[in-house]
Amino acid sequence: MNHVVEIDDVWKRFPIHRERPGFKEFIINLPKFVNKNSNSYFWALKGINLSVKQGECLGIMGKNGSGKSTLLSLILGTIYPTKGAVNVSQKITPLLELGAGFHPDLTGRENILINGVLLGLTIDEAMERIPTIEAFSDIGGFIDIPVRTYSTGMYLRIAFSIAIHTDPKLLLIDEVLAVGDEGFQKKSRDALIRLIKSGVTTLLVSHNLSVLKEICSRAIWLDEGKIKAEGEPASVADEYLKHSV
Amino acid sequence: MTTNRCGRSEKNFFKGDQPVRNCKVKIRIRNREFLQKKDLLWLLTKKEITLKYKRTVLGIFWSLLNPILLAIVLFIAFKIFLRIQMENYTFFFLSALFPWNWFSASVIISTGTLIGNVHLIKRIRFPRHFLILATILGQLVNLLFSLPILMGFSYYYGEGPSINWAISIPLLIIIQFIVTVGICLTISIVNAYFRDMEYLIGIVITLLFWMTPIIFPLNAVPQAYRIYLTLNPLTYLITAWRDVFMSNLIDWGNIGISFGTSLVFLFLGVLVFQRLGKRLDEVI
Repeated sequence: MNHVVEIDDVWKRFPIHRERPGFKEFIINLPKFVNKNSNSYFWALKGINLSVKQGECLGIMGKNGSGKSTLLSLILGTIYPTKGAVNVSQKITPLLELGAGFHPDLTGRENILINGVLLGLTIDEAMERIPTIEAFSDIGGFIDIPVRTYSTGMYLRIAFSIAIHTDPKLLLIDEVLAVGDEGFQKKSRDALIRLIKSGVTTLLVSHNLSVLKEICSRAIWLDEGKIKAEGEPASVADEYLKHSV
Repeated sequence: MTTNRCGRSEKNFFKGDQPVRNCKVKIRIRNREFLQKKDLLWLLTKKEITLKYKRTVLGIFWSLLNPILLAIVLFIAFKIFLRIQMENYTFFFLSALFPWNWFSASVIISTGTLIGNVHLIKRIRFPRHFLILATILGQLVNLLFSLPILMGFSYYYGEGPSINWAISIPLLIIIQFIVTVGICLTISIVNAYFRDMEYLIGIVITLLFWMTPIIFPLNAVPQAYRIYLTLNPLTYLITAWRDVFMSNLIDWGNIGISFGTSLVFLFLGVLVFQRLGKRLDEVI
């Protein structure tokens, strides 16, 4: 079996003082910056080893701040590991924050086009899919008006529709299993489950343990940047619950 | 040993037709990737342009109207009020000002480009330098719309139209694009680490404006201080632009110096952008 994602002893740290200094502070405190010690860092991930096979659906559980989203961002490649290596051999479709690339002043159609291309389609491919995306998102006649006039639900629906219609090969999902109203929630969840069942490799972060148990073939439990448990979703979930109550 | 058209040695070729098919597929994928990247850059540039004129009545027509109005204002100012004792002063000024404006606007806007697109940078993976390229290409539209005005002046003063334009204008645009990309890459990424850049850059651009022969000819500067202007690579580029329209001249010396320095700037820009880009997520 070939591995789609391979993570080899990955460490990631963030500076604790997220406010970066300006030139003045930089010059005044120059000596301090030169002998900077490692205490001013927060280690979000501490030595993660993980590989995901083709077609696998990996559930990731853990408390807030345990490094789940950092892990997904590392796999996505928007952040780099401080130590270690991340290897990904497939095109990634992120479902991290819906509508991230939307511009409020552009119309739904223009945003679909730009986002489709940002997610790896060509213009022609994106144009072809606009009717499908429009039909799936079910936003009626709103597609040709600026998205700033959309309701939150419409905004999320169209963003979700774009992401799942860009031929995902490797899906990264961060708590966006269900969006919109009751009807669309069911529709979007069914569509995702269909994608996952069809063999799209998926990494799924969720606090909804029953969903993880239902969909995933394997799960890991992250705690303070380390993998605490790995294996059957049900048993990992049990262990996680035991420690978090 | 001969190689087939995919650059593979014949040794692989003998293993049946499999490698050949593989390589065809690879070429198609590479083509597709290239096409996709091209589409992305095109769309980001288009977005830059459409957003600039969104909710205006005249739209992109402003890109033409603005330089025309500027030309009229300056013409009135220099012909009636100031009466500068120099032939065709308005033409002299504009032939340097329009290219300069492309440069300065690109630098000033791209300072905030990375910070302004945090949501994209953190959530979607795509070549980040495309944001900078799109900013600069978006500003190029203004220059393209002001070129006809310079050509009009040129024609009026009997220096054009000329076949030289077809060579020098695209060449100068490319050279200026390269140098602007280099500078903008550096400044945009440094600004992510030190937000002070945003305030610093305004005054630096003003300083640079006065250190480039835009409002005045180089020989109007006292001999002792002229050296400082000749150290500025933009002096050669701007002079080359001016020569094209005012004297129908391609000065290969100036163009060569501009091209050489533009490559240095590009190299440094790419280097800094790659180095600092690895920790970009921690600072924006």
